[in-house]
Amino acid sequence: MHTLALIVLAPLAGFLINGLLGRRLGERGVAIVGCALPLAAFVLTLQAFASLLASGAPVQEVAYTWAQFGARKLEIAFYLDRLSGVMTLVVTGVGTAIHVYSVGYMKGDESYARYFAYLNLFLFFMLLLVLGRSLLVLFVGWEGVGLASYLLIGFWFSDPEKAAAGKKAFIANRIGDAAFLIGMFALWATLGTLDLPTINETLARGVGAAVPVGLVALMLLIGATGKSAQIPLYVWLPDAMAGPTPVSALIHAATMVTAGVYLIARLPALYLAAPDVALLVSAVGAATALLAATIAVVQTDIKKVLAYSTISQLGLMFVALGVGAYAVAVFHVVTHAFFKACLFLGAGSVIHALSGEQDIRRMGGLARRIPITFATFAIATAAIAGLPPLAGFFSKDEILWFAAASPHGSWLLWAVASLASLLTAFYMFRLLWLVFFGSSRLTHEAEHHLHESPWIMTGVLVLLAALSAVGGFFPIPHFLEAQLPLPEVPQRLAHLQWPLIGVAVALALAGLAAAAWLYGGDGRRAQGMAAHFPAAHRLVSAKFYIDEIYQALLMKPLLWISDWVFLRLGDRLLIDGSLDGLAGLARRSAGRLSRVQSGNLQWYVLFALAGIVGALLWIWRHV
Amino acid sequence: MMDALLLHLDDALLAFFGLGALTGGVLMLVLREPMRVAMALVSTMVFLGGIYGLVGVHFIAAFQVLIYVGAVMVFMVYVIMLLDKRDSSMRRRYTRATVALGAVAAAGVLLLGLTAVVARAPAAMGKLRSTSFSLQDFATAFLREYWLQFELTSVLLLAAVVAAIALMKGSGESRG
Amino acid sequence: MDRLSLLLMLAMALFVLGLLGVIVRRNLLVMLMCMELMMNGVNLSLVTFAQQHAEPAGAVLVFLIFVVAAAEIALAIPIVLLLSRRRHTLDVGAYSELKG
Repeated sequence: MHTLALIVLAPLAGFLINGLLGRRLGERGVAIVGCALPLAAFVLTLQAFASLLASGAPVQEVAYTWAQFGARKLEIAFYLDRLSGVMTLVVTGVGTAIHVYSVGYMKGDESYARYFAYLNLFLFFMLLLVLGRSLLVLFVGWEGVGLASYLLIGFWFSDPEKAAAGKKAFIANRIGDAAFLIGMFALWATLGTLDLPTINETLARGVGAAVPVGLVALMLLIGATGKSAQIPLYVWLPDAMAGPTPVSALIHAATMVTAGVYLIARLPALYLAAPDVALLVSAVGAATALLAATIAVVQTDIKKVLAYSTISQLGLMFVALGVGAYAVAVFHVVTHAFFKACLFLGAGSVIHALSGEQDIRRMGGLARRIPITFATFAIATAAIAGLPPLAGFFSKDEILWFAAASPHGSWLLWAVASLASLLTAFYMFRLLWLVFFGSSRLTHEAEHHLHESPWIMTGVLVLLAALSAVGGFFPIPHFLEAQLPLPEVPQRLAHLQWPLIGVAVALALAGLAAAAWLYGGDGRRAQGMAAHFPAAHRLVSAKFYIDEIYQALLMKPLLWISDWVFLRLGDRLLIDGSLDGLAGLARRSAGRLSRVQSGNLQWYVLFALAGIVGALLWIWRHV
Repeated sequence: MMDALLLHLDDALLAFFGLGALTGGVLMLVLREPMRVAMALVSTMVFLGGIYGLVGVHFIAAFQVLIYVGAVMVFMVYVIMLLDKRDSSMRRRYTRATVALGAVAAAGVLLLGLTAVVARAPAAMGKLRSTSFSLQDFATAFLREYWLQFELTSVLLLAAVVAAIALMKGSGESRG
Repeated sequence: MDRLSLLLMLAMALFVLGLLGVIVRRNLLVMLMCMELMMNGVNLSLVTFAQQHAEPAGAVLVFLIFVVAAAEIALAIPIVLLLSRRRHTLDVGAYSELKG
C-alpha cells in the first residue's frame, strides 16, 4: 500500500507535467491536469483516512532510507495519524477547491501553465510537510513551501515591487528556518533521532533528560513565527498580497501559514516539558493578535485587511497552543481555512468584478449587483466574527475558554484575546459595509464593466461558505483528544464556561453594531473619528512603523557592513589586494631577476666560469 | 754554468719555451691593438710547437706551425688588417664590470687545478716518457683504430665548405 | 717538480688565461683569439697525457682538434665580418640583442 506516497507524489506529477509541457497542453489541458491531480490526492486521502478510522492505528509508510549512521537512521517516511489526517484533508480539500477557482480567476493570463505548475508544487511540499514522519521530511516540506510561496508571490515578477515582496517573504522565512535548524541539530545531537513519534514518546516518558527542551522549543517557536507570521517575523505577510488572490487564499490563509501551528501541535510533549517557552508561545500569539487587529482597522486595501486578519487569527491559534489546548488550535486551523479561504476568494471575486480595483474607498453598494459573492462573503464574515452557530464561533470560543481556564492560561490572556476578537468583528464588518453597502463610490470604468464572476468561481465560494457555516459541527477537538489531550480545567472555573460564551457572543455583536454605526449610511461618522485622533490614526495607518524600524535597525547596518566591511575592506582591500600584491611582487621580482639576461656575452661566460668553479669546489670536497 | 745548462738542455729549453708561451698569453690580455695581440698569439703558438718537439711528438709540432700559425693565424691577421677599425674597443679594452669577478673566478679555477696536480704524489703520475712517436706509427694508428674519426672529420670539412658557400651567398644577396 | 706537473700546470694556465680573456676583452676578434689560446692549452695537456701513457690516442685527438679549429676559424671570422658590417663596430657591447 503506497497510498501516502501517492498522495504526496500526485501534485508533484502535476507540477512536472504542467511545468514541462504546459505550453503544448493549452489552457484547457493545463486546467484539467492542474485540478485533477489534487483531486486525486484528496480522494486518496479520504481512503487513507477511512483506513485510519477503521484500524485505529496510524498509517505508516517508509518510502526510502536516506542515510544510516550505525544505529541512527534518516528515513523518508510518511505518517497519517489523527492530526496529520485532519490536516491532510484540509490541505487537499481546500487546495483542490482553490485550484478549481483559479481556473476561472487566472483565465487569460499569459503564464497560465506556470501558475498551475507552481500551485501543484506548493501542494506537493505542503503534503510532505504534513505527512512527514520525521522532522527532516517536515523541514524539506517547510523549505519547499517557502520556495513555492516566493515563486507565487512574485508570480508577476516583471513588476519590481511584486518581485521584492517575494524576496521579503523568502528572507523573513529564512531567518525562522535558521532557528528551526538549530533546534533540529540540538535534538539530533542529544536524542539521536528526528522521528516525531519517537521524540514525543521519549519526552512523554520523561527519559529525555539530555535534551535541552527549552532551547529546542524556543528555536522551533522562532521557526514557527517565521512561517506563521507572528511577532517578530510577520512583516512579510501583508506584502505577500502582491501575488494572485487564489495564492493568498491557499498559501497565506489556509495552509502554509498554519504550518507553524502544525509544527508545535506535532510536538506536544516538548512544549509540555518546557512550560516557560509555552508561556512565551501564548504571549507572542496574544500580542500579535492584538497588534494585527488594530492595524487591520485602518487598512484600505481589501486584501491587506484580510492579511492582517490572518495574522491576528494565527495569533489566537498560538494562544491556544501556548496554554496546552493543541486540539483546539488545530480546530481553529480547520475552521479558519474554510472561512478565510472563502473571504479571500470572495475578495478575488470582487476584484475580478471591478476589473482589478482593490481599494475599498472606491467600492460600495455591491450587495445587489454581485449577490452570490456578497452572500458568501457575508456568511464568512459572520463566521470569523464568531457569531453562532457558524464555524468560527465554536473554535474561537474554545480558544477563549482555554485561555481563561487552562492551568497555563490567565485572565490577562483571555482579556487580550477577547479584545482582539472584538476588533476582529469590528474591522470585518467594517470591510463588509464599505465594500457591499452604502452608496457606490466606484470609478466610471469599474461601474461600466461590473459583472458577477463565472460559476467556476462562485461555485467554490458557495462550497466554502457552506463549510464555514456547518464546519463547527465537526467534532474535531474530540476526535483529536485521543492523541492531543486537552488541559484539565480546575473545578472552581468549570461553571464559568457558559457565561464566557455569552460574553464572547456579546463582543461579536458589539463589533458588528459599532461597524454598522460608524460606516453605515454615508460613512461620515468614521471620518469624523479619524479627524478626532489624527496622531493615533497616522500611527496605526503606518503599521506602527515596524517596517521602517526594521529597515533602520537591521537593513541599514547590514547594508553598511556588507558595503564597508565585506566589500571594501574584505574583498577589495584584503583579498584583491593580497592577490594583486602577490602578482605585483612576482612582476617586480621578475623584472629585477631579468637583468641577468643582459645580452652581454661576457657576463654569460662569467656565469659559466662561476659555475665551473663551484662544481670543481664540490668535487674537490667530496670526491 | 754552461756545463750545467748543456747537461740539462732539455729542461732548460722546456723552461724557456714554457715561459715564453706564458708571457705570450699574458700579453694577449694586456695589449691594446688586435694586431699586437695576434702577434703575441703567434709567439705563444710557436713556443708551444717547440714544446711539442721537446716532448717527442715532432709531427704534431710540425702541424702546429703549419696549420695553426700558417693557416689560422694568417687568416686572423688578414682579417685584422681588413677590419682594423678605430672603434670603441680600442679605448675601452675591458668590460670593467667583469674584470674583478673574472679575475677571482679564474684564479679560483687555476688554484684548484694546481692543487689537484700538486697534491698527487709525483710517483703515482708516472714519468714522462721520452719516446718519440714516429709519423709511421701515428699514421698507422690513425687509419687503423681511429679511421671513423678520420671520416667524420672529412665530413666536418665538407660541412664547413658548404657553410662558407652559404655565407658568401647570403652576404652577396644582402649587398645586392 | 717534474716535467709532467710542469707541463700540466702550463696547460692549465694557458686555458685559464684564454678564458679570462674571453670574459674581459671587448674586441670580438681578440675574443676569438683568446678562444684559440684556450684550445692550445687543451692541446698541450692532451699531448702530455699521450706521452705519459704512451698512447697514440692523445696525439690523434690533437690532430683532429687542429682540423676542427681550422674549419671553425674559417667560418667564425666571416661571421664576425658580416656582423661587423651591420653594427659598424667590433665592440661586443653593441651585440646585446639577447637582452631581457
